[in-house]
Amino acid sequence: MGLKDKIKEFLGFDIKEDKYALVDDPVFGKISKEKKPDFWVKSTCGYCGVGCGLYIGVKDGRATYTKGDPKHSVNFGTLCPKGLSEHYMLYAKNRVLRPKIRKNGVLEDVSWQEAFSYTANEFKRVQKEYGKKALAVISTGQLLTEEFYALGKFVQLGLETNNYDGNTTLCMASAVSGYKQSFGSDGPTGSYEDIAKADAVFVIGANLADNHPIIVHHLMKNRRKKKIVVIDPRRSKTSQLADIYVPIKPRCDLALLNGLAYIIWEQGWYDEKFIKDRTNGWKEFVAHIQKYKPGEVSYITGIETKLLYKLAKLYAKSEKSLICWTMGVNQSYLGTNTVSAINNLAIMTGKIGKEGCAPFSITGQCNAMGTREFGFTSSIPGYRKFESLKDREEYAKIVNIPVDLIPSSRGYKYAQIIDAIDRGEIKALWVVCTNPLVSFPDQNKLRRALKKLDILVVQDAFMSDSAKIADVVFAAATWGEKEGCYTNSERRVNKANKAVEPLGDSKSDLDIVLEFSDYFGKRDLLFKDFKEPKDVFEEIKKISKGRLCDYSGMSYEKIEKEGGIQWPCNEKYPDGCKRLYGEDMPFGHEDKRAKFISADWEPLKEGLDEKFPFILNTGRTVEHFHTRTKTGEIKILNNLAPEAWIDINPADAKRLKVKNYDRISISSKRGRVDNLVVRVTQSVAKGTVFVPFHFNTQLINLVTNSLFDPISGEPNYKQTYIQLHSKEVPDGIILKEGIFGSLEAKGEKIEREVETIAEKEGR
Amino acid sequence: MNAVESFIKYKADTNMQCGSYFIDLPKLKENEQYRFHFDATKCIGCHCCEVACNEQNNNPFDIKWRRVGEVEGGVFPNVSLIFLSMSCNHCIDPWCLKGCPTESYIKLDNGIVIHDDEACIGCQYCTWNCPYDVPVFHKERHIVTKCHMCYERIENNQTPACVQACPEGAIEIEAVNKDEWLKEAIDKEGNAPGLIDARVTNSTTRFTLPKDMPKNLTPADYALIKPAHKEIPLVFMTLLTQIGFIGFVAIFLGDLAKSFLNLPSASFSMSFVIFSLLAIGLPLSALHLGRPFKALSAMKNIKSSYLSREALALGIFAFFTMITAVFYYFKIDGFFRIFIEMIGVLIGAYGIYAQSMIYRIDAKPTWNRKTTTYRFFSAGYIGVIILAFIALLENEEKVANILLSLAILLGSVQIYLFFESQRFYDLLREDNKFFYQIRRAKELLENDFKKLYLFRKISLPIGAVFLPLFSVIAVNAGSLSFGAFLAFLAIVVSFLSEFSGRVLFYATAVKTSMPGNFFAGTQRG
Repeated sequence: MGLKDKIKEFLGFDIKEDKYALVDDPVFGKISKEKKPDFWVKSTCGYCGVGCGLYIGVKDGRATYTKGDPKHSVNFGTLCPKGLSEHYMLYAKNRVLRPKIRKNGVLEDVSWQEAFSYTANEFKRVQKEYGKKALAVISTGQLLTEEFYALGKFVQLGLETNNYDGNTTLCMASAVSGYKQSFGSDGPTGSYEDIAKADAVFVIGANLADNHPIIVHHLMKNRRKKKIVVIDPRRSKTSQLADIYVPIKPRCDLALLNGLAYIIWEQGWYDEKFIKDRTNGWKEFVAHIQKYKPGEVSYITGIETKLLYKLAKLYAKSEKSLICWTMGVNQSYLGTNTVSAINNLAIMTGKIGKEGCAPFSITGQCNAMGTREFGFTSSIPGYRKFESLKDREEYAKIVNIPVDLIPSSRGYKYAQIIDAIDRGEIKALWVVCTNPLVSFPDQNKLRRALKKLDILVVQDAFMSDSAKIADVVFAAATWGEKEGCYTNSERRVNKANKAVEPLGDSKSDLDIVLEFSDYFGKRDLLFKDFKEPKDVFEEIKKISKGRLCDYSGMSYEKIEKEGGIQWPCNEKYPDGCKRLYGEDMPFGHEDKRAKFISADWEPLKEGLDEKFPFILNTGRTVEHFHTRTKTGEIKILNNLAPEAWIDINPADAKRLKVKNYDRISISSKRGRVDNLVVRVTQSVAKGTVFVPFHFNTQLINLVTNSLFDPISGEPNYKQTYIQLHSKEVPDGIILKEGIFGSLEAKGEKIEREVETIAEKEGR
Repeated sequence: MNAVESFIKYKADTNMQCGSYFIDLPKLKENEQYRFHFDATKCIGCHCCEVACNEQNNNPFDIKWRRVGEVEGGVFPNVSLIFLSMSCNHCIDPWCLKGCPTESYIKLDNGIVIHDDEACIGCQYCTWNCPYDVPVFHKERHIVTKCHMCYERIENNQTPACVQACPEGAIEIEAVNKDEWLKEAIDKEGNAPGLIDARVTNSTTRFTLPKDMPKNLTPADYALIKPAHKEIPLVFMTLLTQIGFIGFVAIFLGDLAKSFLNLPSASFSMSFVIFSLLAIGLPLSALHLGRPFKALSAMKNIKSSYLSREALALGIFAFFTMITAVFYYFKIDGFFRIFIEMIGVLIGAYGIYAQSMIYRIDAKPTWNRKTTTYRFFSAGYIGVIILAFIALLENEEKVANILLSLAILLGSVQIYLFFESQRFYDLLREDNKFFYQIRRAKELLENDFKKLYLFRKISLPIGAVFLPLFSVIAVNAGSLSFGAFLAFLAIVVSFLSEFSGRVLFYATAVKTSMPGNFFAGTQRG
């Protein structure tokens, strides 16, 4: 700036009117002139599993706007704050623009050819030296379905390793396993419309207001006719919307659900006909729930008996009842069985397959569903079982490959892969679009293990913490730069379209897989006809035909026209299907019946000891997505939540002598997190704290536990025993006697008796 | 593209305003205006409205026209968490409009209060004056900007961005009959936790609040205490004009007394120094403007803005001090000079009064006290010491004695007012309507500005009383030069003291606003 300009600037001649002027857009009316798009591209949001329809505005080849599609039945023109600012994500400073290889300890930009051939050689070497299965792949819930399918096919049939899992195991696996246990197949059973139309909605372990704000739009429809129950140890934003808030003690939901089943049985509120016609295992189940009499359940959960009856009655006697849940249920050692316990309630009362009725799992990532359907991780594409020869043969025949190529069992799950790396069994790891260095529990153990790898390849659009330690980085394109389908929580297949070219030299994940497969000579075998996403979609239609997740009646054009289609979509359901397991749809078990699962609640294995007297709960906030690789650089979001805070009850704050904005540390048996910002609030009970998991700056997964659901493999993120260390009370609070907020409190007073005896000065 | 061409006309089947880009607003009848309705029972604190507003208006992330705050009350598990989304309340008596010296605010026929960007000089008085903290200074643009209810969209039957974006339909636009609203509805539905009484500006926003709200609600940002801007150009401007004014009054009194008593009149140097204070002080105020080149248009709104009145009155006053200095230079004596001085005093007094009234606003509770006006006048004691100092240099022992005594008298008043303000903080009780703001000011004084506050406390009696008194003693003991030295020291110490006092005055003035966000606060400054 010259002196003249500086003087002009100082005197304030230019108020930049043009930059802040509005202009007419033919589609959306008055909008910002500077950002006015040349054209709009219809697409779907790439953040969470709600699956909102939107338009991407493109100006001079850059995305400048994202606006909600008012005709889309999911979001009716609205978007959450992340969706509204999604276009900024494409130009975040941390985008990976070029493939990289670590040379002399530093990641250097290389050509795709070099990155692919180097990685292929390394993979081949490792597989030759240590066996095919010494290569493992961890993917995500955020690719397009076409990409998931191609990636899965390449990993399982091309790289011939079944040590392949996704980060979906960190969030959805328990829902998948629970559905499979109860109904014989995965697949969320309801629609958002059911949430809108239900008379009673039970929200268990889900903070929809923060994590799925657009679903709240459906929840709040017909509000006056509806009762909303929120069951959560935390007085979350969502709980504020409830008619009845149930402050359950942490991780007691399975006991509660069994207890509700008991009351429904005891009172005769169950649907005898439905049980007789469509279920198995009722007698055993009735015998099982005798252990869960109201007094006992009240004792375990901290919920009054009277309220238990009220809840049971509300669920069983309302005409339309729906239970929806997310991570509070899934992310637990008992996750799978808790999901099944929810399903038990639905099938004992016949609250399934009808309008306003469903046991409904809400998904977290934009396409967690896509990988469940066709990802080839926990099942063969099209909800086929590895164990079933019939399924294997069927799939092999459709895609024309030798049946022997298909593994007959699932390989290691996510956590098992990490353990196998730790043992030295797995030597090469390919991480696709996920960031374990923030999201995986017990970080110290993970990081120790990853150091033992011969090669770590990270494929991501963002320079995540995991990409930073990789040996090779594949520069991936992201949402808005590629085409394909996302399936949302209600099984709605939405179309995401390419609005702009991939940034820099980045490539779509589909192109990466297809081109990479060439280096293994597998392209002809696996991807002969695959040139663009549509070709993959055609194969998906073929392999899904006749399956529950049937795409055969869909086409890209039809999906766009309808604003997404809920599978199954075929001759029987040409316009898709709103809910599963209606009268005309059998359950997935061989006898076509649903199964009652008799599972027991048990207390947390890692017991409370006097050194770790608090229970830590982790979760999300509305401003951020997962590990902040996408939202951390979007200032309007990050500014509202720039750091990890800790919600702490005023009584505990007093004991620790902390106030708002003080800094505090957390420790568990596994590690320590410093520098958390204190937020004193009554939204958490005494003895419990909440910390968001998004932040690599205050990495809460350093303290969480390596404890996984034995069936689904999902981590038990939501309850960890911890100690708090403030400046004034550095050693934290030590229990004098008794145990508070505890799962082991049997026979003891629930009232907590805590005393600070560890103050430095006091010693 | 074909699929979307029609949906600007498309309304969601919920019949809600949210989601749809098209809005059906009733034609306004006689005496009606548009207003916001905010339903706190629907809001989930998702911040969509904030982001959508910035997207619509291309504002950078730190310029927020709409903000979401939160308050909490109760004891677990009976806890209420209430979110408030607020932009402009398009008041019936908008203080931004009343106070704006350049008439840059316009209340449209439909009631929407818009800002005329080109007319704005960036004085930011509206950012003080609005008790909802709505207007926000946009540094890059040098001007203040604010929510205009997307009036250009409304004129075309398009939905305002925040209303369209809210997934829960918590924000709506409706028509309100102003008379009916002011009759009593405003008291029932115009108020919300953490906001000033709606009657102050006759705010039009209608709030729907939860029925069983706890009595005590704490804003999420209650402990987030940030000092306000120090406004250094204004510190100089106000002090120099106040010192100049009281000095001028002393000259006038001297001139007047001379008619009856045997006293020498003021000297040219005295009158010139007084003129210089104003000549330096007044233009300095332009430095705090976003657009200094338009400073003179600050006198535009004499009708309702004290800022315009101050600018005009002090401008004329400065002219009179110049004329007076010219009179002294040419030794033009007599009634005419006294008359001119008297007119000058009257205009100057009004100027300082108007200056103080700029700060007597509901939005700044620590300013909104009568003592602010008193303090603005009594701070001028330094002007009298300056004159005494000149008198001593000119060997006018008698004059110096009189002036120093007068300075001590005024200085004592200033000391009294200082301790009165300290008592005001000490006696602060929780039932004070502005407890929240005043507590913050107190904490700023006691923590952030502890040292400066201590300096102010000690330096004030030294500069205002002790040193002038010692000067009097020295003069009467026969040493004029030592007396002059002490008077000079008094000028320096008392100016530093008043300077620090004035900095504290600005920096600790916590505004009325809205409950904030835990991290981002009220997103202002």
